[in-house]
Amino acid sequence: MKSKWSRRARATALSVSGLMVIAPLAACSTGGGSDGSQGTTTITFSYLWSGPEAESLEKIIADYNASQSEVKVIGVSSPDFQKQLTSMSSSNGSFDISDNFGDVVGSWASKGILAPLDDYNIDMSGFVPSSLTQMKYEGKTYSLPIAIHSQLLMYNKKMFADAGVQVPTTMDELADAALALTKTDSDGNITQLGLGEAAPGATQRMIAAAFGGSWWDKDGQPTPLNDGNIQAMTWYQNLVNKIGPDKIAKFVAGYGQYQSDQDPFFSGKLAMRIDGEWNGVGIPKVAPGLEWGVITIPGASPQYKDTTEVTASTLFIPANSKHKEAAAKFLAYMVSPDAMKAFTVALGNMPALTSLLDSSADYSAIENFSAFADALKSPNAYAPSSAVSAGEYMTDLNKAFDSIASGNETPKKALEQVESRVSSYSK
Amino acid sequence: MSLRRSASAQTIPSSARKPGDHSSRRALWLGLAFASPFIIGFLFLFAYPIAASAFYSFTDFNLFQTPRWVGLDNYSQMFGNPTFWQSLGNTLYLTVIGVPLAIIISLAGAHLLNFPVKGQPLYRALVYLPSIVPIVVGGYLWRWLLNTQYGFLNYFLGLFGIDGPAWLQEPDWTKPAILLMTFWTVGGTTIIYLAALKDVPQELYEAAEIDGAGAWRRFLNVTWPMISPVTLFQVIVTLIAFLQIFTQPFILAQQRLNTPSAGPGGSMLTFAMSLYQNAFAFLKMGYASGMAWILFVLTLVITLIVLATSKKWVHSANN
Repeated sequence: MKSKWSRRARATALSVSGLMVIAPLAACSTGGGSDGSQGTTTITFSYLWSGPEAESLEKIIADYNASQSEVKVIGVSSPDFQKQLTSMSSSNGSFDISDNFGDVVGSWASKGILAPLDDYNIDMSGFVPSSLTQMKYEGKTYSLPIAIHSQLLMYNKKMFADAGVQVPTTMDELADAALALTKTDSDGNITQLGLGEAAPGATQRMIAAAFGGSWWDKDGQPTPLNDGNIQAMTWYQNLVNKIGPDKIAKFVAGYGQYQSDQDPFFSGKLAMRIDGEWNGVGIPKVAPGLEWGVITIPGASPQYKDTTEVTASTLFIPANSKHKEAAAKFLAYMVSPDAMKAFTVALGNMPALTSLLDSSADYSAIENFSAFADALKSPNAYAPSSAVSAGEYMTDLNKAFDSIASGNETPKKALEQVESRVSSYSK
Repeated sequence: MSLRRSASAQTIPSSARKPGDHSSRRALWLGLAFASPFIIGFLFLFAYPIAASAFYSFTDFNLFQTPRWVGLDNYSQMFGNPTFWQSLGNTLYLTVIGVPLAIIISLAGAHLLNFPVKGQPLYRALVYLPSIVPIVVGGYLWRWLLNTQYGFLNYFLGLFGIDGPAWLQEPDWTKPAILLMTFWTVGGTTIIYLAALKDVPQELYEAAEIDGAGAWRRFLNVTWPMISPVTLFQVIVTLIAFLQIFTQPFILAQQRLNTPSAGPGGSMLTFAMSLYQNAFAFLKMGYASGMAWILFVLTLVITLIVLATSKKWVHSANN
């Protein structure tokens, strides 16, 4: 009885402890892509898009799967940046191709997160040249753009007409228009704002370009104290001070969700904002009656007019993908004219291929599309740096923009604080 | 269980157990085998990560490449970084204001729930309810509640003629907004206090009343000392929660495109948020590991100070 019980107990204990070890290990080992029995390689395309955008993407994936039998693509909508990043940190990746924005390319490529694409059979000759600027790191291409974006000054035509304000052509006129289009109630609370922001920091970055400023040098390194940047931020702070930083803060605190019914531009509470071409699809869906126009951002002097920030939605293959060849074949398909056209038309984005951009008939149904497309040709169009330190720099810049807008710091002092941080950024 | 106990008592008499004895060695291995799920879990999920983070804090490590030894560089960078000090200041502000207020609100709530009124179980459930709402869901709910145009809070203040602030846009109001959201979930603390109140012997109150003590005197001389051990527990647990506060400010400060955000002028950047941004947005894992150790030491020191002072204000059988 003694030895029998001991053996059983010991066996049970060992089994339990063994299962405790094996179970998590088994759970950790994911199937991922696998070679099929008939030479088909299955790959996973984990993308950040969701909702209607994901539906459009799934149709393209289905078309690709139906068109050939070599690679089978499984699309997974996973709009979680952190999950995407952590999935790429293990030796065995959970996806073979994914998407992000161009500004992360330098940082990720420098850390070995992305696989270089130059050795695969992908035609890279037809891309809009400026769209490839962010895709390279130390001479190699690590991502490819499936769509590009430009941002211009969007305005509410009815508000302009009601206020008798002309479309601005200089920065002084822009400031005057922003003031004339700002309305307050009897308590002094803003009920309609002249000029607002769509995304953190984008407005300030582009206004700086309109003053000849730049946030990066030609090597992509931070230059917060550029003269044009300080002039632009001074212009911006003067404008905010005339309206009242506290009043603006209170009005902005009442914003609804971006591109929803409560979006201030969509709901007629904001007269102007600098925003991108995707609104050509978003506005007709959410605010079909809205009469809106688009103009280029006025320059502080003629040589600085027509500035725009060009960014890109990118596709990449993670370095830990086990099926890079198959993923590269699918990537080549995604950036081919037919697939890119289907995708960008559905999302209201601009294609990254010159041939598609020039044949704008396919995009004619998208409101104000041609204005955004034309902006790409401006000599003052620029792409933000995708340097290793871009994320840290942008975060510090946004904090400085906050201090400037709230009137807590002078532009020079706020940007000097950013400059003092530059040496500590990742190299 | 009883069978196992009797079997081992029968098979291995205590008088027969000696160090090095075959049976006792077997019992040792058996014990270790049964404890192995915990031991393995502790070694791999706690001991190794703790040791690894200590090592990484002295390296330049980005999660994807081999760590490079940099000595004390991460720590010296940290102490020279204004963002580090701002995040520490924000966290201490929330802790210094938040812990006492959370304790006071919980204790007051427990007293209210202790009144023998009709529907008491329902009130207790209602107070506890926010604690079981997922914190992220609660965060998004509060973003709407604090919205100056669509939010209920400023509408409610408006009913009393108060012009509510821009909670999430004015640096002076962002931390009160975080505290409001935190106090919404004090139900758990309240229920623990309620249990403590019910444990206070009734005869102490009766004796105090006979001695002529009013309600406030009864609270000070009977309730407070009797529940002080529970208060010590509540203070330490709440303190640690505030020093590590992350989700509430993270959700309230969140902006479009997952941009690392910290609220207007960095006013919502807590220590844990800054740690997260360095680790997962900027991939400075070595620097973030150093921050984690600073937070650990800070928490330990503050907790030890509270424990040291407890001898003077916590009532126990020996004190």
